[in-house]
Amino acid sequence: MTWLVWVLGAVVIAAAGVGVAAWPWWRDRDLRRRTAWSAARAAIDSAAVSRDAASTPQPEAEQLLARAETIAAAHGGTRAARTAEDHARRADVLWQATARG
Amino acid sequence: MADRIRWVLLAAAGAVLVTFLLVQQQSTSVSYGRAPASGDPIPEGSAGELSGATVPSAEQLTAMVKAAPVVRLPGAIATWDEKAVQAAAGSAGVRILVAPPGLPKEARSRVKDVEDATVQVIGTEVTGGVLQASADRASEWIRQFATGDVTESLTTLVAHLNHQPDAPDQPALARRDPAAGELAEVTAALRGTGRYVAPGATLADVPATTAAFPGAQPLYVALPQQPAGQPLVHFGPALAKEFPGRPIVAMYGQWIEYDGPSADAFADVATASFYGQFADRLSTYAYPQRNVLGAWLDRVTAIRYAGLFDRPLPYTPFDPLRVALPALPWLFAACALGFLVLSARRVVRPDRPAGTGVPARLAGLTALAVEISGLTGGASAAALTRGITQLTAARDAFTEKLPDQHVHGLLDAAEADLDSTAGLLGRPEYRPAEYLRGRLA
Repeated sequence: MTWLVWVLGAVVIAAAGVGVAAWPWWRDRDLRRRTAWSAARAAIDSAAVSRDAASTPQPEAEQLLARAETIAAAHGGTRAARTAEDHARRADVLWQATARG
Repeated sequence: MADRIRWVLLAAAGAVLVTFLLVQQQSTSVSYGRAPASGDPIPEGSAGELSGATVPSAEQLTAMVKAAPVVRLPGAIATWDEKAVQAAAGSAGVRILVAPPGLPKEARSRVKDVEDATVQVIGTEVTGGVLQASADRASEWIRQFATGDVTESLTTLVAHLNHQPDAPDQPALARRDPAAGELAEVTAALRGTGRYVAPGATLADVPATTAAFPGAQPLYVALPQQPAGQPLVHFGPALAKEFPGRPIVAMYGQWIEYDGPSADAFADVATASFYGQFADRLSTYAYPQRNVLGAWLDRVTAIRYAGLFDRPLPYTPFDPLRVALPALPWLFAACALGFLVLSARRVVRPDRPAGTGVPARLAGLTALAVEISGLTGGASAAALTRGITQLTAARDAFTEKLPDQHVHGLLDAAEADLDSTAGLLGRPEYRPAEYLRGRLA
């Protein structure tokens, strides 16, 4: 029965190794995803405010924001969040330029 | 600190594992109470087991066997009861080639390859074809090794080869007490030198002391191989009467008998053990009696240390390794568990750097937004709303424990929006940098 202890010990060591490597990686990935979505949502909200404040309609900006909102509604990963944020920012810039202009 | 302990535990687990694997050596030698090693009791070749006898060539041997039913080569020692063998062989008859003991391997195989001989006897080893007949009890060994009588093996093998019914067992060897003259001669020699070597015996010397009989010098009697077919002299009991309390070792050819203290306890065991293991070699080779005696004494030593005698075991020093060995697996498991626990703790509760001013900045900017909210209108209202949106996002991010860097990025955006609000209002005192200077200092 002594060999069982060795097997258990080896399994525990291996589990510890996998856990130590995998857990932070998984947590970091999740954190980056949530961070990216936080930034994306902030950009979309900001763009929505700019749209409401704009005097003249901007079809291109409307389109960009709609696309960003569609992507956000699908709840994708980090890359989808980056794309949505990018679209929302460009729409925001367009509307702010209109408001200033 | 915990991190260092973690790695120390891992290193300890590895060291324990390596130690455990390194000490895993199995040994075939089993001893009760650390018997002194006997070395190699019968070293091959160097033990003088080769008699120097030679045999003729294979052709000559074949011709000799064809010419006579029984061929005895010079130096042959085996004898047998002719009538018993013929009765066992039945009508088919038998051709026997008898060679001397102690032949080198090449000569032995030359003798065994003589196909015309039904049975080949080398020394007292009896073979025929692929078969070999061996004695397996003391009453047969004493005939074989004390007198060279191989009748029992021969009849068994010949009956088997000729498909005859098994031959009846030979009666027990008759023994006789030594004559008065014989006993007197031996007794005188034993009183003088402690040993008696009869003419023709090959016992050159005896061990000065032996671990087989500690505290007592045994008396040795060595006789050459005795003639077969007549009662065998029995010196042991007679000498035991003459020398009470002394161990007496009597050799008849290759046969060793013991009389004296504890004879009942181990003599039979020693005989069975010794001849059971070495009968094969003793029958083929011509060992000098001194070597047979040495091997036998080694065996008696082993039996003595096997605990058959009622005597305390010798002191064996305390070996910490043997005591520590069973603990190693548990030590390893404990180290592995400690490593796992420390690793898990580290993963579950990562150390987070102390506050980097996020709440203060968030509160300050929120206060600024509330303060200027009553003044805005038009473009400045849009900028303020954007700033508040960013502030809300920053607050959510902070609540969700997202990285401070990200929260600061959102706060930067809010600050920029509030800054442009103050610019649009034309109120530089509401610029965030100006407004927060006094509060966050």
